Amino acid sequence: MSKFAIGCGGILLVLVFVAVVVAIAVAGKYNALVKLDQSVNQSWAQVQNVYQRRADLIPNLVQTVTGAADFEKSTIIAVTNARASVGQVKLDPSKAPTDAAQLEQFQAAQGSLSNALSRLLVVSENYPQLRANENFQQLQAQLEGTENRISVERGNFNTTVQAYNTAVRTFPTNLFAGMLGFQSRPFFNAQPGAEKAPEVKFNFGNAAPAPAATAAATP
Amino acid sequence: MSLKVSRWNSSIAPRATKFFALVILAGIALGTLGAETLPSKPDGYFNDYAGVVDQATALQLNEQLAQFERETSTQIVVAIYRTMQSESSVDDYTQRIAQTWGVGQKGRNNGAVLFVFVDNHQMFIQTGYGLEGALPDATCFDITHNLIAPYFKKGDYTGGLQAGITAMMQAVRGEYKGTGRTHQEEGDNGATVPLWLIILILIVIFIVMSRFKRTGRRGYGYSGWGGPFVGGFGGGGSSGGSSSGGGFSGFSGGGGSFGGGGAGSSW
Repeated sequence: MSKFAIGCGGILLVLVFVAVVVAIAVAGKYNALVKLDQSVNQSWAQVQNVYQRRADLIPNLVQTVTGAADFEKSTIIAVTNARASVGQVKLDPSKAPTDAAQLEQFQAAQGSLSNALSRLLVVSENYPQLRANENFQQLQAQLEGTENRISVERGNFNTTVQAYNTAVRTFPTNLFAGMLGFQSRPFFNAQPGAEKAPEVKFNFGNAAPAPAATAAATP
Repeated sequence: MSLKVSRWNSSIAPRATKFFALVILAGIALGTLGAETLPSKPDGYFNDYAGVVDQATALQLNEQLAQFERETSTQIVVAIYRTMQSESSVDDYTQRIAQTWGVGQKGRNNGAVLFVFVDNHQMFIQTGYGLEGALPDATCFDITHNLIAPYFKKGDYTGGLQAGITAMMQAVRGEYKGTGRTHQEEGDNGATVPLWLIILILIVIFIVMSRFKRTGRRGYGYSGWGGPFVGGFGGGGSSGGSSSGGGFSGFSGGGGSFGGGGAGSSW
């Protein structure tokens, strides 16, 4: 009896030891995933931040432009409508989206606002007195700064999502990541046609930076 | 031994050479694909690579900016190039350069870089995350468009840069407190042996020597050992004084990040 009991006890001990080792390893991997998940959420919050900053600039822009004589009404209306539609697509700012379709919807709404803004800036080229307006020039600088911030934060977001997705999908973490509640996250994609910056020709050759820069940075 | 060598010569060497050749060619091809080069890290705070400012003024402005970092910890860098070596937009390109250089202190992100591309007639102020309150886009636009551009249009680069630097420092002063040393000056002191390590090593040596003492003679064995060690470590602890002999303060990025804020103008 004793030999068998010792044998069983030995095997049991080994199994317990292996289980403990595995548990510690899984705990380590879990903590790493949590950290990466948090960094994704943090960069998502930054993305929301800069998009909100752009949305906040719009009323001032609309007011300045409407003040200019005979500015093309349809352009202003397009911007106002696009901003309203952006306000309707509400994603949780504290948690990065897990659903690719949701992110697509968000991107599409923001993209339409980008397009409307580009169009407005292009049209403003035809109004020299507006372009010379100090307030308008400042707003243009601020809008371009915001567009640049948007592309920087989207880039940072994609980087953190990539790190997270890699961790979730590599072996052996992928075996239990799903059980622990970690899914792959979607990226920001370039909008179709974004590779082609719209042609903007300048006949005035004067101060303010080109709206083509804004269009090229259009998400 | 000889068998291994002969196998290398016969079958592996030609394949290895082909592989390395391919890798090198691919590297060259990829290098020429992107028509963009990120300029290397600057040596100083005021870097005139286009030669539009005279030496004396350049040195004076460099010291002014270095002193600003000592007083406020904010790193302002000026970089003047002939042309912009990129097909991207100036705000995108300069953000990536500033990010690579790591201007500004880590954690505070209080860096600002004024880029001037002389032949492109473009300038841009990139601000780190930590300066977006003091130097917002509107102020950057104001400085470049209303203050500096008129000087540049007349060809007065020195005047324009002096005015711009003064305005930037004025906007940012008071935001952060400095330590009295630049990041590069602090770095020299950090390379010395830390005090706790010295104490630990001394303790270990005492323990080791006490074991030897049992076998050897008693007496005054310690006094001979103590002197050279203490002298050596004392020297290690206090080294790292000024590297800026000669009046030129070098620049070393503190690791600050850039979020794409800032504005610029053309002239």
